[in-house]
Amino acid sequence: MNRSAISLTVNGAATTLEAEPRTHLADLLRGGMLLTGTHLGCEHGVCGACTVELDGAPARSCITHAGACDGASVRTIEGFAEDAVMAALRAAFTAEHALQCGYCTPGMLITARDVVLRLPEADEARVREEMAGNLCRCTGYRGIVRAVLRVLEQRRSAAAVA
Amino acid sequence: MTSPQGVRAQGVGASLLRKEDARFLHGRGRYVADITLPGMLEVAFLRSPVAHARLLGMTKPEGAAERVFTFADLDGVGHIRAVSGLPGFRISEQPVLATDKLRHVGEAIAACVAPSRACAEDLVAACVLDYEELPVVSDMLSAGLPGTALVHEHWSQNAFLETTRQDDLSELDAIAAAKVTRRLRTSRQCMAPLEGRGVLVEWDPRLEQLIVTTSTQMPHVSRTGLAEILGLDEGQVRVIAPDVGGGFGYKGILLPEEVVCAHLAIRLGRPVRWIEDRLEHLTANANCREHHYIVTAWADAGGRLLGAEVDATVDAGAYSSYPFGACLEAAQIGSIFPGPYTLPKFSFRTVSACTNKPPILPYRGVARTGVCYALETTMDALARKLGISATAIRLANLVPPEAMPYRNLVGKVFDSGDYPEALRRAMASVDLAGIRARQAAGECVGFGLAVFCEQGAHGTSVYAGWGVPIVPGFEQATARFSPDGVLEIRTGVHSHGQGMETTLAQVAHEVLGVETARVRVVHGDTALTPYSTGTWGSRGAVMAGGAVAEACRLLGERALAIGAALLQAEPGAVELSGGAIRRRDGGAAVTLAEIARTWYRQPQNLARDVDKGGLEVIAGYRPDPDTGTHSYACHAVTLRVDRDTGEVAIEDYLVVEDGGTLLNPMIVDGQVLGGVAQGIGTALYEEMPFDAAGQPLAGSLADYLLPGATEVPDIRLDHMETPSPWTRFGQKGIGESGAIGPPAAIVNAINDALHRFGAEVLDLPATPARVLAALEAAR
Amino acid sequence: MKPAAFTYARPADWPEALALLGGGARAQAGGQSLGPMMNLRLAQPGAVADLRHLPGFAGVTVTGATCRIGAGTTHAAIEDGAVPGLLGRILAGVARRIAYRAVRNRGTIGGSFSHADPAADWVAVLPVFMGEAIAFGPAGERRIPLDGFLRGLFETALAPDELLRAIELPLLPAGTRWGHWKFCRKPGEFSKATACVLAVPGAPVRAVLAALDTPPLVIADAGALLLAAPEAEAARIVAGLGPLEPWRAALARTALQRAGLAAREDA
Repeated sequence: MNRSAISLTVNGAATTLEAEPRTHLADLLRGGMLLTGTHLGCEHGVCGACTVELDGAPARSCITHAGACDGASVRTIEGFAEDAVMAALRAAFTAEHALQCGYCTPGMLITARDVVLRLPEADEARVREEMAGNLCRCTGYRGIVRAVLRVLEQRRSAAAVA
Repeated sequence: MTSPQGVRAQGVGASLLRKEDARFLHGRGRYVADITLPGMLEVAFLRSPVAHARLLGMTKPEGAAERVFTFADLDGVGHIRAVSGLPGFRISEQPVLATDKLRHVGEAIAACVAPSRACAEDLVAACVLDYEELPVVSDMLSAGLPGTALVHEHWSQNAFLETTRQDDLSELDAIAAAKVTRRLRTSRQCMAPLEGRGVLVEWDPRLEQLIVTTSTQMPHVSRTGLAEILGLDEGQVRVIAPDVGGGFGYKGILLPEEVVCAHLAIRLGRPVRWIEDRLEHLTANANCREHHYIVTAWADAGGRLLGAEVDATVDAGAYSSYPFGACLEAAQIGSIFPGPYTLPKFSFRTVSACTNKPPILPYRGVARTGVCYALETTMDALARKLGISATAIRLANLVPPEAMPYRNLVGKVFDSGDYPEALRRAMASVDLAGIRARQAAGECVGFGLAVFCEQGAHGTSVYAGWGVPIVPGFEQATARFSPDGVLEIRTGVHSHGQGMETTLAQVAHEVLGVETARVRVVHGDTALTPYSTGTWGSRGAVMAGGAVAEACRLLGERALAIGAALLQAEPGAVELSGGAIRRRDGGAAVTLAEIARTWYRQPQNLARDVDKGGLEVIAGYRPDPDTGTHSYACHAVTLRVDRDTGEVAIEDYLVVEDGGTLLNPMIVDGQVLGGVAQGIGTALYEEMPFDAAGQPLAGSLADYLLPGATEVPDIRLDHMETPSPWTRFGQKGIGESGAIGPPAAIVNAINDALHRFGAEVLDLPATPARVLAALEAAR
Repeated sequence: MKPAAFTYARPADWPEALALLGGGARAQAGGQSLGPMMNLRLAQPGAVADLRHLPGFAGVTVTGATCRIGAGTTHAAIEDGAVPGLLGRILAGVARRIAYRAVRNRGTIGGSFSHADPAADWVAVLPVFMGEAIAFGPAGERRIPLDGFLRGLFETALAPDELLRAIELPLLPAGTRWGHWKFCRKPGEFSKATACVLAVPGAPVRAVLAALDTPPLVIADAGALLLAAPEAEAARIVAGLGPLEPWRAALARTALQRAGLAAREDA
């Protein structure tokens, strides 16, 4: 079993782990670092449960293997404690009942945060399109879509006031 | 929600935000795959590559004799037997690892153990299998034909069970104004909770106890099954269901993998874990919902049903799974086919076919989704033949409110409700004239309805008749104060998305007045909670809700007696309100927290004759009668069909639903919305096809399509709230309801659109290929 | 679903990448196709060469009338406007509908094109342009016309010892019309039929029909698809493909018609 040292920055902290090159990023985070908020739903890049922020943009952590992450910067759901957009999304997700079993929620939030920041003018159709790569089996998506729209609208009104 | 006094409502009927959300939103949910133990070993299973074969042998990889285990290595482990008491049931013995035969693709043959899952999979890849292929039984309709290979060779035919009922329908041809016959099919589906199954087992040598942490909906039932198969006392098995990432029925089964991991944990003296991956979910483990119907129905000129005849086959796969068995689905078809209607005559034959496919499990809605599809599409076919509207034919047959409670011809008892009103409300909220005008202008749009009722929380008297391994009795709950006055509720059901940590706290608040923030709901651990058959059959709100209310009521009586003594008042002179015992004359009060402190920490202040049971109560609850609640709904769909591509676009989806008293309307909405999304999957997207060799063909979520945010519209919900006369607060089981109506309503709408082209869709899901084929056939 | 073991290397320059390739390593760019295949053990390379850090692998440069897109340029970069002008708007529209944003952030145009999945988006679009793929091998760069790059299912004109270094496309003049249509039941699903039509002023109209479990069909003179009633032409083209399941044939016809219509209406 060939293991090599993988250096990466996770939630702001530089770290070095020993891992096989074949270990995917999600297992690296979940196993080596006990960051179990990143979930595995399909391990082939479709369901979105494992979505993390990798070098500043959402990525599937299940299909990115450890070797390729050497030198990368990763932010997981555990790494947004100080983030105002994530705080607003969390509040909106609760208010809109946008989660049930909670399994898709971390990946959903990371995707939603990217949508809110990247597409400030997104309407419902665009939000649905952008969220389509994150599957939820519980909610029927209504709460999720409304929560994202709620935060988009909050930010638009705040911007208008400013 | 704010009451007139300005207090935020927390009791029954409040849309209280969920207590459990915070941990999930911060990634602090704890699912089985999140838990690791020192020295833990991971398991990967060598699985059958073929659907039917004689297993001749398996060569373990060099040097891996102690890391690869076949059935021969498992000493004293029994087979899984899920027997039904229904006459004629054929019993399957499901080996936890294959013995002499392979009966479906994906059947586990060997368990490979390694420090990591990747290394365990390497071992799997290095195993060499020797088998001799047998003819494959891949089609449920021909499974019973003479000369077909037998899945279980000691059986006389490939069927777990056949059930029948025969009314005299011979005169109907002569008197009916319309008769239709339809052949209909629903697809085989995978339930696809986002989290698959998974189990982590450790053996505690001090307690001589297995600690089985598993992703299940029914920890107590798993415990019973595991103990039986492993030959242990039940006290030697503790089952913990941590956070569970969706169930939908998929986690209501005792798995061979759980048994194998439990055995290996004892044998190896190390924690052992297996986490199901998506490939295993799709291609190896249990499926659901594969029904075939031939329905004939007769009606008079006014649309009144005169009778129906149903020949139904369900592909139950190779084994009867524990605890619900192989025939729950098919046999239920006979009892629920009459639907919400006053059907006067009814004959049926149902077959639970045995094939070389994975076993089936009851998926959200169980048989009702297929039955509703068969019945409601047949109703529309009758209406078209009679030239009356889909609304008119339903209004002519729905059980009227004045008949409630109503016992139908197969003995189902409907508790309450106004079924026709649900339909009228839906129609009042739909612009049918507008849709008709668009059709007249040449647009390929359609409108479809489905009306149905859902029996939920059915109890002892119903399940005793099935004779399956579980019969729900009195649901129990524990209510106890801890010394700091926090109220702890312990329940044997499991919450995996249903929000019961919130709704059961609301129930407790309703009875005791304790702030919901000071109520802890404990579930998912057989060591901590009273026995329960678990979460299934839309029973949580009714059964656990009733049990928690009763336990809290009795706890309140204990507290009242202590409080009265502390207030130096007669019990009759005090009352429980707002979380305190108060003198009725408006004088002094003592809070429940103070009473708790007194019981635990200042017992010197208790009266001499205090109830020695203290502040912990276990209570049982069962509605009387226990035949179940019937929620009901009308689904109304408007959609567009693209005649060039066969693709369907839903324009409007309306649900009018009656779940009785809603404990938490927000959560009920969530249940209905989620159910509808799954029903849309059944209607339009989800299908696990098998080829003639019994190979599953959708090996990834790129092939097995689950509805996403772009496929599920912003569903409109409207509630009626007719209390059930039989339950504690009037609540009805509603958790599965949303998943029942969509295939019927959507296909009825598609057929409404296609009707003028002479085309009709009959098979689910209504994919572009099927819609185009229907249009082509009509050309 | 964990990959078989492999060794990982990150070449610092192109010759080193070629050396790894010569040693049997599998080239990987964004890994968004290879990653799932490896997890499913459908692909079991013993060694992986990660190209993402090669000099000039990602990025877009314009020289004269030619736009050079580094093979490692991500779909997301193209979606966000890395390619200028009308060409950029066309490519951005295609990129936006590839898989999901999280996949587009890693997946690359060159990786996808050289993977040559018949249902992939760039496979269905790039051959319509009069451009070239720039291959890099032991003898240096070699130019391959885009419409000759794809040789079969998962098969390209690249030699085993070559890597795709860039895609060169001609910038498009004003007045160019474009139509693109693909059939996916949901975003991110593999297309079941894709067509695109490109009408550059003064040049023959070109079209591609793809995602039919066959290599893309390039139609060098597709002017008839721009006519008011392209049904017959679409039917003729699809009939020439050989046997298809009826519904796929219907989708293929629709794809050509609707791409043609979109190009016709493209202002």
